[in-house]
Amino acid sequence: MAAWIYGLSILLMILLPVFLAAGLRRIAQPAWILFGVGCLTFTLSQVVHLPLNNWLATIGLLPGKVYSGQPLWQTALIVGLTAGLCEELLRAAGYAVIQKIKPGWTRLTDAVMLGLGHGGIESMVVGGVLTAATVSALLPLVGIDLNTLGLKPDQIVALRLQLETLTGIPLLGALPLLERIIAISAHLIFSLMVWKAISGRGSLHWLYLPLAILYHAAVDFAAVYGMHYLADKPLLIEIIFLGIMIPGYLWAFLQIRGYAKADGAPSRVPNSSIRSELAIFAAAVMKEIRQQWKTRRALVLGAVFLFFGMGSPLLSKLTPELLRSIQGGDLIAKLMPQPGAADAMNQYIKNLYQFGFLLAILLGMGAVVGEKETRVAPMILSKPMPRWAFIAGKFAAQGLMYLGAFILAGIGAYYYTWILFRPLEPGNFILMNALLLMWTLPFVALSLLGSVLGKTTAGAGGIAVGLCIGLTLAGSIPQYGALLPGGLLGWAAQAGQAAAGIQPAAVNLASASIAQMPVNSGALASAVVMIVLSLVLSIGFFEQQEL
Amino acid sequence: MNGATAIKTAGAAPVRGSPETSAILCQGLSKTYGKIQALAELELSVPYGSVFGFLGRNGAGKTTTMRLLAGLAHPSAGHAWVGGWETTGVNRLARTRFGYLPQDPAFYSWMSAREYLDYIGRIQGLSGMERKRQIGEMLELSDLQEASRRRIGGYSGGMVQRLGIAQALMGHPPVLLLDEPTSSLDPAGRHEVLEMISKIRGNATVFFSSHILNDIERVCDTVAVLHKGRLILVSGREELLEKYAVNAAELELSAAGQGSAGDPLATFLDALKQRAWVANIKREGSVLRIMAHNVPLAKKELLPMIVEHGLEVDRYEWVRPSLEDIFLQLSSEE
Repeated sequence: MAAWIYGLSILLMILLPVFLAAGLRRIAQPAWILFGVGCLTFTLSQVVHLPLNNWLATIGLLPGKVYSGQPLWQTALIVGLTAGLCEELLRAAGYAVIQKIKPGWTRLTDAVMLGLGHGGIESMVVGGVLTAATVSALLPLVGIDLNTLGLKPDQIVALRLQLETLTGIPLLGALPLLERIIAISAHLIFSLMVWKAISGRGSLHWLYLPLAILYHAAVDFAAVYGMHYLADKPLLIEIIFLGIMIPGYLWAFLQIRGYAKADGAPSRVPNSSIRSELAIFAAAVMKEIRQQWKTRRALVLGAVFLFFGMGSPLLSKLTPELLRSIQGGDLIAKLMPQPGAADAMNQYIKNLYQFGFLLAILLGMGAVVGEKETRVAPMILSKPMPRWAFIAGKFAAQGLMYLGAFILAGIGAYYYTWILFRPLEPGNFILMNALLLMWTLPFVALSLLGSVLGKTTAGAGGIAVGLCIGLTLAGSIPQYGALLPGGLLGWAAQAGQAAAGIQPAAVNLASASIAQMPVNSGALASAVVMIVLSLVLSIGFFEQQEL
Repeated sequence: MNGATAIKTAGAAPVRGSPETSAILCQGLSKTYGKIQALAELELSVPYGSVFGFLGRNGAGKTTTMRLLAGLAHPSAGHAWVGGWETTGVNRLARTRFGYLPQDPAFYSWMSAREYLDYIGRIQGLSGMERKRQIGEMLELSDLQEASRRRIGGYSGGMVQRLGIAQALMGHPPVLLLDEPTSSLDPAGRHEVLEMISKIRGNATVFFSSHILNDIERVCDTVAVLHKGRLILVSGREELLEKYAVNAAELELSAAGQGSAGDPLATFLDALKQRAWVANIKREGSVLRIMAHNVPLAKKELLPMIVEHGLEVDRYEWVRPSLEDIFLQLSSEE
């Protein structure tokens, strides 16, 4: 039960900011790209913030890997101030750039959209991905005697506390979500303050910027104290957090009320119903599926996947035979272990990893730019087709096409592995395929983003290749790399081995890396984040393009 | 007369009209690309029910205006409303108020006309029954019933253009924006498309851009002239032709009557010069152009004089200027 609540919380931490932004769009139509700008200001602030805190730790002002006697007030103050300075100054820089590029984007609702992007990406990464990684790291420890793990006493205490929270009252699984909701609301208030500082009237409006920095620092200061003294009372920490935000909520309420009354505030425009937009989205998905079928793309994808599905067990089985047929290859063949279902699964993952990646780029890169080049897009988008439905329809159809392709590949691989080696355990085999599909989808979404950004199909292909290679290379970053979608391949490989009847090797759970863990839900969460962000950015950029 | 009733230079001052009473309303609509001003502060009100010709040379800003009205480009300044809804905003419902046909319409070549219209109907939110009814209606209007199940990729230029108008009409929007609908067609295709536009008259306001003046003259009741991104004229077609009418009669003399004994043409010309209403006479081969100070008197006396001098005439007409003459005159003045 707790695992389900955690799963739902993680999903909502990723999707809630986007749902809130979509709701705001229906009220006041701020541009989606502002959400992307908010994501960017948070990301850039962390590029400064994290190394800054590391440096402060190396000079002894903050605790490093080992606590070295810094007073708590000093830690809380410095952590709070660095967060406030980095995030609010970058947010202010974001506003300044926007004012220069789009002078009309200075409405209160624009500030709210930017705040949703800033708090949203934090919710997705710090909330969604890290909570998922923590849960998947803790789950294997449930029921294990922690004293056998060779940890220090204070580490065991901290770990036991986390495990008690994980296995305690199921509703505690919703606490990370509650924390993120409060954090998002805090970001909206900071965003409004910085907006007042940048676009407000009067000689003292700039004072809102230091005020935002100090308020942010105060919230983080309290968070550090809360985590130190109330670590065993997580709900109380959230209540205190909420209490600190109350003055901010009241201030924001007055701002919004004043803005709504002001002459410059846009009146609420009549909007289409969600149902009608979803009906158009469904029509767009159906059209895309028919297009994939009629232009033979679905056929090509299905054929390639079926070929590799059937071919992987065959290749594993025949490799020694092929080697024997080569002059002198007999010796090498003798050195090779007898192939089995596990080899077939390894081969299967390798094949789909290489060709799935390529096909995602090849089939996705022309999706949007192709319709712009042929001038079909202006015909369709002069109709009441929302641009989000145009983009999301393409992604959904491609996702469904890959689902079908994986089903074909899976059937082929399952059947031939059964004939040539042994029957596979279905649960793990399905899990392996689902993980491979989830690994593929971020590349499909990135290719779509490339297709939106490119001015020609070739250009879009280049951008898509760059984005996809960038994501693949990011998987090599120490510590964090395994939390990216590439981490799903390791999990899929373990599921493949389990499907082939190979028990996973024992892992020292206390010292194992994320990639060695039996479940890597952090990578799964980051795949969802990558998909969501790529789609939001695609829609944001596409919305600004002229056709 | 549906269109504007007076000739005016619309760029000079804000036009009268409101989003509710105008089929199309532009207020200060401008578009710049870098340092190039493609459209400068367009002020325009198009009344409901008119077939409005939007005239201009290539590069005058017609397509830019169309794309701004259709919400496909973002204005640098100003606003536009079509069918009462602002289309320079971001509300997608505004796009239910017009149908748009771009200069070179393009379709999913793998679809049939029926499939394409069905897709458009779904985007318009039409029910299944209504979609079916309107698809039949549009295929009949565009004369594409027989080809309706064929791939659009195999259609001729005229068929593509007719399908373009049909898709613009799906959902029965009150306004049609047609950007150069005849410019890429052969004479037969042009005829078909103009016929189709004539059939639409009365059912929707048609905003029709073109640089082919004969087409505008043939179907439009109101004309606007755009030149170098600026609106230089808005007028009812008849008022415009009357204003620029030339007070001239043309006579094309039969070859048989010329050079005969006594030279009746020479005496006819001498007699004409004696008349007070004659302003000027030009002769080009067998064609005489007689400019008149007093047209009613000239009309009364000219034919009897021809008979009196025994001239044989192949053609006799009081000349009307073509829209082309007026357009060239206006754009060269600017």
